[in-house]
Amino acid sequence: MSNDSTLKTFLVAFLLCVVCSVLVCLAALVRIDREAYNKQLEIRKTVLAADGYDVGKMSGDDIDKLFLDNMERKIVDLETGEFTDAVDVETYDQRAALENPDLTVKIPAEANIAGMGSRAKYAAIYMTKDGDVILPIWGAGMWGQMHGYIALQKDGTTVKGFTFYEHSETPGLGAEVDNPRWKAQWPGKQIYNSSGRLAIKVVKNGKYNARASDANSTIDGLAGATVTSMHVKDIVRYWFGDNGYAKFLAKLKAKRG
Amino acid sequence: MAKAKDALLDPLFNNNPIALQILGICSALAVTNKLSTALTMGIAVTLVTGFSSGAISAIRKHIPTSIRIIVQMTIIATLVIIIDQMLKAYAYEMSKALSVYVGLIITNCIVMGRAEAFAMKNPVGISFMDGIGNGLGYTLVLLTVGFVRELFGSGKLFGLTVLNPVNNGGWYVTNGLMLLAPSAFFLIGFIIWGLRTWKPELQE
Repeated sequence: MSNDSTLKTFLVAFLLCVVCSVLVCLAALVRIDREAYNKQLEIRKTVLAADGYDVGKMSGDDIDKLFLDNMERKIVDLETGEFTDAVDVETYDQRAALENPDLTVKIPAEANIAGMGSRAKYAAIYMTKDGDVILPIWGAGMWGQMHGYIALQKDGTTVKGFTFYEHSETPGLGAEVDNPRWKAQWPGKQIYNSSGRLAIKVVKNGKYNARASDANSTIDGLAGATVTSMHVKDIVRYWFGDNGYAKFLAKLKAKRG
Repeated sequence: MAKAKDALLDPLFNNNPIALQILGICSALAVTNKLSTALTMGIAVTLVTGFSSGAISAIRKHIPTSIRIIVQMTIIATLVIIIDQMLKAYAYEMSKALSVYVGLIITNCIVMGRAEAFAMKNPVGISFMDGIGNGLGYTLVLLTVGFVRELFGSGKLFGLTVLNPVNNGGWYVTNGLMLLAPSAFFLIGFIIWGLRTWKPELQE
C-alpha cells in the first residue's frame, strides 16, 4: 500500500488517534484519582496555617491527622448567620457552588467592594475545640482572584492568623502577601472596634502609626504593592461586613456571652 | 556510537536550541524566576523531546507526507498531556507554579523542530538521543537563567536562603527586575553573547 494513498492516510490517522486517546485517558484517570485528595490537602494545610500551625515541612498524612484531630467543619448561612444543614457538611464545595445559581446570591452593587458580583449562600467554615473560627475569604487581586483563610480567636474579633493559598500577584511585590514577616502583623489585630463597628484596614506602606488610636486594627501595606494591599483590605472588609460574616460572628458572640 | 554521542552533546553548546537556534524563548522567560520551576520545566521538555522524537522516528516510514505535521503534533500533544496530568497528580504545587506553561510545551518550537528536522530522517535510537540532547540544552539555559534570577531576585537558590534579603530582616536588597520576565531577555542575550564569543564559529 502506497504511503500517500487516501486509505493509508486515513488508517494512520485513525490508529494514531486510538492509541493517543487511550494514553491520554489513562493519564487523566490517574490525575482525577489524585486531584480531590490534592485539593483537600491544600485547603487543610491553609486552614491549619491560618490558625497558627507550622505546616511547611509536614507530610500529607501528618497534616490530615492534625486537621482531623483539631478542626470541625460547619456550614453557615450568611443571610441569617446561623449554622445550617441545607447542604452536606463534608461534601459542600463553596467555590463550586458559585457556578450553581440556586446556591448563589447577588451582592448589592454598593457592597461589592471585593469585585466578586455574587457570593455563595453558604460558607464552609472551620472551628477548633478552643473556639477559634477559620473563615474562607476571597476576592479580586491585582491580576486575578486571591483565595485564603483568616482565623479569629474565640471572641470573634481578634485575628489569629491569615494566609492565602491561591493568588497571581507579581512575584517580589504583591506576592509578598505570602511573606511570613508581613503575615506576622495580623495576629492580635481587631476586626471590630470596641463599639462593634468594622475597623480592620490596610494602609499604604509606611502610613502605619503605632500610636494612633486605631493602630490595633491597622495593617501596614506591602512596600511596592499598594494595589495588592488595597485589594487585601477590600477583601477583608467585604467579608467582615454585613454581606459576609458580620451576622454570624455577632450571633456567635451573643451565644458565647 | 560517536554519532549518538554527538546527537546527545552537540545541543548543549555547539547547537543549543535556545542560544543558537533561538527557539523556546517564551517558556524560558516565564518559568525561570525560580530554579525549582526551571528544573521541572527542563525535565518535562527533555522527556517530551526525547520520547516524541523516538516515537515519530519509529513510525516515520509510515507517516503520509500530507498529514505529517498533524501526526507529529498529536504525538507531542499526547506526551505533554500525560506529563501535565502526572504533575497535577503527584506534584500539585509544582503544577500550580508552572500553570499553563507545561501545556504550552506542545507549541514549543524545539520539540516540533527536532521532530521535523531530525526524527523524520533518522533511526529511533539516535533520534531519541537527539531529542534528549536538545531537551538538556534547553534545561541548561533555563537553569543558568533561573540561577541568576532566583539568586539576585529573591536571594535564594532552590528555595534556600543564600543572600538574606531585607524583607526577611537581612541585608540584601533584592533586585525586583530579576523576578519579572524581561530580565530573562537580558540574561539570555548575555548567554548568547558569551557563547558566541567563546565559540566564534557559531557567529552568523
